[in-house]
Amino acid sequence: MSAGAPQPAAPAGGHELFDVLPAALRPREQGSGESSGRRWRIETALLLALGVFLLVATVNDLSRQKAVNARLNADLRTWRAYTGHAYHNLLVDTQLLGPTSKREVVCGNTSPGPPKERTQVCLLIWGPIVAGRRPVHGGWYLPPRAEDVQRMRYGCFGREGGRFCRR
Amino acid sequence: MNAVAQGETGLLRIRSARWPHALAAVLALVLLAASAEIVLDGAAGRSALIPRSPQIAGWLSGLGERLGYRVFLIALLASVGAYAGLLALARRADAAGLGPRRAIALVAALQLVVFVGPILLSTDVFSYIAYARMGVEHGVNPYLHGPAAIVGDPVYHYVGRDWKHVATAYGPLYTLLSYPLAPLGVTGALWGMKLEALLASVGTLALLWRCARLRGFDPVWALLVVGANPLFTIYGLGGAHNDLLMILAMMVAVTLMVTPRVTPAREAWAAGAIVAGALVKVTVAALLPFMIIARRRLAPVVGTLAAALLGAIVAYAAFGTHGVNVVSALNRDAAFVSSDSFPTEIAHLFGKPGVFPVDHDLLKAALVAIVVYLLWRTWRGYDWVAASGWTLLAITVTSTWLLAWYILWPLPLAAIVRDRRLLAATLGVQGLFVLHQISPLLEPVK
Repeated sequence: MSAGAPQPAAPAGGHELFDVLPAALRPREQGSGESSGRRWRIETALLLALGVFLLVATVNDLSRQKAVNARLNADLRTWRAYTGHAYHNLLVDTQLLGPTSKREVVCGNTSPGPPKERTQVCLLIWGPIVAGRRPVHGGWYLPPRAEDVQRMRYGCFGREGGRFCRR
Repeated sequence: MNAVAQGETGLLRIRSARWPHALAAVLALVLLAASAEIVLDGAAGRSALIPRSPQIAGWLSGLGERLGYRVFLIALLASVGAYAGLLALARRADAAGLGPRRAIALVAALQLVVFVGPILLSTDVFSYIAYARMGVEHGVNPYLHGPAAIVGDPVYHYVGRDWKHVATAYGPLYTLLSYPLAPLGVTGALWGMKLEALLASVGTLALLWRCARLRGFDPVWALLVVGANPLFTIYGLGGAHNDLLMILAMMVAVTLMVTPRVTPAREAWAAGAIVAGALVKVTVAALLPFMIIARRRLAPVVGTLAAALLGAIVAYAAFGTHGVNVVSALNRDAAFVSSDSFPTEIAHLFGKPGVFPVDHDLLKAALVAIVVYLLWRTWRGYDWVAASGWTLLAITVTSTWLLAWYILWPLPLAAIVRDRRLLAATLGVQGLFVLHQISPLLEPVK
């Protein structure tokens, strides 16, 4: 829509009902009040500002996701190196230790089989990425087909692992 | 010498007139090839992007490899680039050779390629089928129970994990429309849903063409804006989403209202069409206040009330009070949060882990403020179709639950209004959505 001169108020749809209103409040015919130049500029400026803000938020989230993916790759490599199994179906829990903590729990089978169908070993992983891996701070085991909840964990190990098992 | 110079000038003119033709053809081919790549790889079987499904595109299954993020995102980005290029060329339609026939052929080919392929990127269609089978085959009210109530039914295993315990949020008209497909079995119903989505898409594009003509726009341009839109074809039609039916009802209403002589009967029917759309998916009801304020006549109000009353009676007879209460389903869905929503991205920008309940209230307040402003602008003569488009766009931007096919809602309206900012904003939001998807390309998880 191009900016145009303000249009005079016109009677609406043959209704004189609105004539009692002040001119500034009276309805106008469709298309007559597309926009005044000043209003159009203000609206456009607000839209552009919103667009830039959303672009910044999107790019920021994209770079955050990229960092998360890099961390997940390091976690997967760490689990494979620690257990000596080159499995691909691993479950990464980013929520258990806090969604913004950058601390993850990675679980996978201890022997070949479909996901969760064998005894699983879970590792607590956090810290900086060094040589493509992150430090392991402990972990626990889960029986086959079990969800990772406290009552199912056993054999907790490592400095931090103990506090996650049932006492 | 002079003749030679004239000849060279003519040759240059011919060459400069031909390059847009060639470029348009290349872009159209890229768009088609990218869609075909997604469909062929999708037909190879289940992947992170292709939901578990009965083998409905088995005859295509040997032609591609399982669809992974890398191929999908490259194809999607290629589609978006080709689409943007085509729209730019279509602005100078004569030069680009994008006449009505070629544009229609391209859009038809895109629709057909996606139609013959598997279900893409969403399990929603299996929820639609599950709700239909709950009512028809099992006598279970889909407004009271989720698909978990029919664990033994063959469709149950295809329903998305997050939706197994969720009662339907769709309108009673849509649920009743889906009932005749239930006895066809899962595969038959799936094809029925795909056909329904295709017909809705074709109907929308036909009405869009008519509206563009009536409003003095180039119909080829409008057709390409919607029909060649990658989110419309790949996500909307590819997933057989019922949003396409809602959009069709919306376009029926708009077509009735933009004809040269709008009679009270047409106004009433237009309002009725919007109510019918809202009984498919309630979002489209957002158009009603704008239509009523713009016309300032009794007919749209009468049409709204009559259609709503009729819908309520039918819904009550079929599903009881739960079928009538579309507001509670809306409130339930409004509480969902998706990682692609703009509020989630903004929360991350400010260092928050996600959206909190207070944010939902703030977003609702922002949406109300936008709608009130648009109503005021419509009262003062702003095009109600454009105001409706802005409202649908505002709903998608402020929603904490954003999916690709939601950003399709304002697109047909944006193609037929004079305020080109609406189209720019809609395509901009779509672009940001696509941009947000590409992290697996930048850092694939291995």
